[in-house]
Amino acid sequence: MTVNTWIVVAGDPAIGDLIDTARSLGGEVTAAVVGPRPVADTVAAGGVDKVIWFGEPGDAPVEAYATAVADAIAAAPGVVLGSGGPGGRVLLGAAAARLQAPALTGASSVSLDGADVVVKRSVFGGIAEETVAVSGPVVLVLDGGSVPAATGSAPVEEIASVPLGMTVVQTKPSEFEEVDLGAAVRVVGIGRGLKTKKDLALIDGLAGASDAEVACSRPLAEGMDWLGKDRYIGVSGQNISPELYFAIGISGQLQHMVGVRGAKTIVAINSDPNAPVFTEADYGLVGDLYQIVPALTDALK
Amino acid sequence: MSDASEPENDFDVVVVGAGIAGCVTAFQLAQQGHSVVLIERGEAPGSKNLSGGVLYCRGMQEVFPDFLQEAPVERRVTRNYINFLNAESSIGIDYKDTRLADPVNAVTVLRAKLDPWLAEKCEEAGVFVMPGVRVDRVLTKDGPTGKRVVGVKAGDDELRASVVVAADGVNSFIAQEVGLRPKQPLNHLATGVKCVVSLPRETIEARFNLTGDEGAAFAVVGDCTEGIGGGGFIYTNTDSISVGVVLRLDDMVAKNKSATDIFDHFLTHQFVAPYLDGGEITEYGCHMVAEGGMDMIGDIDMDGMVVVGDAAGLTLNTGLTVRGMDLAVASGVAAAAGIASALSGKDTSKVGLAGYREQLFASFAGQDMKTYAKAPSFLEVQRMYKDYGELIGNVLYGAFNLDNQPRQHLAKVALKAFKKSPVKIRHLISDGFAGVRAL
Amino acid sequence: MKIVVAYKWAPNPQDATVGAAGAVDWSRAKPAISEYDPVAVELARELADATGGEVIGLTAGAKGVDATMARKAALSRRFDRAVIVADDSLQGAGSTELAAVLAAAVRHIGDVDLVITGDSSVDVGGKMVPTVLAGQLGWPAVAEVSAVTGGAGSVRVERAIAGGTQVLEISGPAVLAASTDAAVPRLPGMKDILAATKKPVQTLTVAELGVPATGSTVTVKGTSRPDLKARKGQMIDAKDPAAAAAELVAALRGTGAL
Ligand SMILES: Cc1cc2nc3c(=O)[nH]c(=O)nc-3n(C[C@H](O)[C@H](O)[C@H](O)COP(=O)(O)OP(=O)(O)OC[C@H]3O[C@@H](n4cnc5c(N)ncnc54)[C@H](O)[C@@H]3O)c2cc1C
Ligand SMILES: Cc1cc2nc3c(=O)[nH]c(=O)nc-3n(C[C@H](O)[C@H](O)[C@H](O)COP(=O)(O)OP(=O)(O)OC[C@H]3O[C@@H](n4cnc5c(N)ncnc54)[C@H](O)[C@@H]3O)c2cc1C
Ligand SMILES: Nc1ncnc2c1ncn2[C@@H]1O[C@H](COP(=O)(O)O)[C@@H](O)[C@H]1O
Repeated sequence: MTVNTWIVVAGDPAIGDLIDTARSLGGEVTAAVVGPRPVADTVAAGGVDKVIWFGEPGDAPVEAYATAVADAIAAAPGVVLGSGGPGGRVLLGAAAARLQAPALTGASSVSLDGADVVVKRSVFGGIAEETVAVSGPVVLVLDGGSVPAATGSAPVEEIASVPLGMTVVQTKPSEFEEVDLGAAVRVVGIGRGLKTKKDLALIDGLAGASDAEVACSRPLAEGMDWLGKDRYIGVSGQNISPELYFAIGISGQLQHMVGVRGAKTIVAINSDPNAPVFTEADYGLVGDLYQIVPALTDALK
Repeated sequence: MSDASEPENDFDVVVVGAGIAGCVTAFQLAQQGHSVVLIERGEAPGSKNLSGGVLYCRGMQEVFPDFLQEAPVERRVTRNYINFLNAESSIGIDYKDTRLADPVNAVTVLRAKLDPWLAEKCEEAGVFVMPGVRVDRVLTKDGPTGKRVVGVKAGDDELRASVVVAADGVNSFIAQEVGLRPKQPLNHLATGVKCVVSLPRETIEARFNLTGDEGAAFAVVGDCTEGIGGGGFIYTNTDSISVGVVLRLDDMVAKNKSATDIFDHFLTHQFVAPYLDGGEITEYGCHMVAEGGMDMIGDIDMDGMVVVGDAAGLTLNTGLTVRGMDLAVASGVAAAAGIASALSGKDTSKVGLAGYREQLFASFAGQDMKTYAKAPSFLEVQRMYKDYGELIGNVLYGAFNLDNQPRQHLAKVALKAFKKSPVKIRHLISDGFAGVRAL
Repeated sequence: MKIVVAYKWAPNPQDATVGAAGAVDWSRAKPAISEYDPVAVELARELADATGGEVIGLTAGAKGVDATMARKAALSRRFDRAVIVADDSLQGAGSTELAAVLAAAVRHIGDVDLVITGDSSVDVGGKMVPTVLAGQLGWPAVAEVSAVTGGAGSVRVERAIAGGTQVLEISGPAVLAASTDAAVPRLPGMKDILAATKKPVQTLTVAELGVPATGSTVTVKGTSRPDLKARKGQMIDAKDPAAAAAELVAALRGTGAL
């Protein structure tokens, strides 16, 4: 058996992993591309069979094409793949609603069993893994991967569509520089144990001495705004697998720890001996980070 | 009683703390038609409560006749095991008695399940249950006979009532705030560390030699606390085991030991670990235990307020059993009766509320507190936790260790062990005498 | 303005355990209003107060969502009233089914200008319910919304995008998923909880709503524990920070982590 797949592209052509998954299912792969023409062209060259492009968006945000994307997919239902950014989720949600299909997140493998799509995925914040078989259409929210290399040239079909009534009136760049934590060999993660923003200098010192990137728990990026949103680790943030992860002043709640389970070595520094982070650490130091971090920085020099 | 300028009461009674004492008090008052609010700081009742888990349940059955059928009880305790633990030896008295099952004397419970059930019963009886609110202080006004409690305050909000019930547990800051209880000296307090280890029920039944819903309660003294005053316990639930240690605070401070280290030592002790083997820790926590016996009990009433359960100091540690939940029930029953008669007599002053005190001290709870009044100071004696166990261990070792030497009379073996032990005959006599009187 | 806030009554998986055979045991995890949903309530309340309007709480789930405690916990928040879809057929329902029920309830409420949801639910956390809900209604949806202004028929929202923020103008009704830090929720006080029991609640069942049938069948083949890497769990005494640091660095160099 093979099944046809849709790849929903929400403005960002970084869909290499989605193409691989779609190809593994054997059928025809169609990309539904929302965004400027060059995005559609990159996707068309990336190894899909066909591209459906919804036209130049102008000042319409990605989300404005939700109904148009759902309509296109409903004309030829199959497996729908897409990445989980905020815009992508809106397009995928519209598709799931139109098909009345399940929208599954956290998949680690997708395969076929006869006509059924079998998905193994992480559920409930990562405490368990579930294997489900879906018969009928299904929407899968996955990591996109990187931009595919140019290997082919699929035809691009433009469909006329009326975007929903929403427009972008202003775009402001973030004050934080972007970072690719996924590529870091060592990562120093900091949490609410840090008392003030200026104490980040301490953490930068350790990161410098150990040649590591700085990351954080969610509250430091959302709420306190001390670090950029692309620096927080966990179910809703980044998943990383570095050689070494320092969890400093981080309690180690499930939702954070699932993001570092792939780390080779985990070091936890926390003043609370009962902090759950110690149960998932290779090395644990109970104490005040304000004493241990400088000592560690010195020891590394 | 009330003058026109006073704000109106929101409820007849405000109960602070939805533990066992608070729930029983609130339930009985609501059943009699009084308007009651039950305030609990935990998001859900039970979420902050931790307890060893053997409930002597007769009192509870009087409040809830179908308690054993309806309530989430785990097992009916028919096997009591008293264990002296040394580093290399373990000596036990195994007392199993099917008579303990009928009528049921004691059951094991998990507070995470029992407390929500109690709160639900309260709701059904008409209590306004209010979780997620921490009472910050009581409202008082000066009356003719001194300070009178008129309500409670949490955040910016105030609630007024004719009677406030302090059921807020061993650290009761409410009773302390109004001066009903002095701050407790360290030797009146112990810290309990406990965890729940889940295991399949068949495994538990096989390991503890139980059938059906029978349960076992192990009381352990000796090496399990590394010589710190206190003891350990192992109680069987349906498909989990409650295991913990209770350690005297003053002794821990004096010996500079940490409760979690001692607990780890207990869990990994060669005589304890096999019971837990293969299990998984599903709950873990620390909690204060009042240990001062009769000395702990402060004033339990004043104008407009009564104190119940642990907040009133109602806990008994006889060395073999930790009792607090049954006393909490008894005090709740007595308080509800006292408050009801005060409300109907329209006198909620200390005098009007005196029925509580009378009924409490007439009940088994008050009687038991008097009977065991000396237990805590008896238990303060170091020898209890270390030397006796080793002594008996050495005696038995002498008797059972067939080392190809001619056998000696047991008395001789004992005497030899005695000479090596720091325990002196006079200790044995004085402790034995004190123990008989205290227990 | 008529604003519906979708809130979930859910347990935190942090308190659940997974047995060796893979079964999830929720018995120790108590349900509560899902962690981030109070942010949505606060955001809605501020907007409703600014424009003059009503905030309606909406939840869907198995019978427990209509228990006294659950009602009180919800209505002590700053809702004016609540609509509760309590139906045991929703036990374990997926995002699409839940969204279909919520959409039907939004239609049932009628004349809704805005639906605001939390960022993600504490138990499932898929962030898909709001977007599928919008799809069911055919409304625009925006996630990670940090601010909303405007009134019925036209709102201006600020939302996060990769590398910055954007301001969008939306005409007509919409579904907005609030970012976790869009507002600081107020903890309910005693008076709020007392007032909760006086607020109107409408309880509905799935049958009363007329929800479209699902287009696919999902069969759970099994659940299991994730394969976790075994950790050393070595504690280093940190009473002397310098000595502890030296010991740690030596250990990390020994294994090649540094
Ligand atoms: C649906 C959902 C999704 C979520 N997704 C994520 C996610 O992706 N990523 C994420 O991180 N979180 C996520 N969370 C939040 C998560 O549940 C936790 O709330 C969060 O991770 C806690 O962050 P923290 O450990 O920094 O803070 P806290 O839990 O407050 O811990 C701070 C720690 O610092 C320690 N400390 C304090 N002072 C010192 C000192 N001087 N020295 C040493 N230690 C000190 C304390 O003992 C404490 O353990 C999510 C939650 C939900 C409900
Ligand atoms: C490790 C351990 C083992 C034990 N073993 C046993 C045993 O085997 N058998 C037995 O009978 N007893 C045992 N006990 C003792 C028993 O747990 C207590 O005596 C019993 O719980 C007392 O009940 P209570 O209702 O008075 O107080 P608690 O159960 O402590 O309830 C007090 C309640 O008040 C709430 N509260 C506190 N402050 C406030 C506030 N300001 N505002 C709102 N709410 C507040 C708390 O959250 C709590 O829910 C043990 C205790 C410990 C610690
Ligand atoms: N059963 C439900 N009832 C009401 N609202 C829900 C329900 N499930 C999810 N939501 C809303 O959708 C948001 C995202 O949930 P989720 O998609 O499960 O991560 C939550 O924060 C809620 O606001």
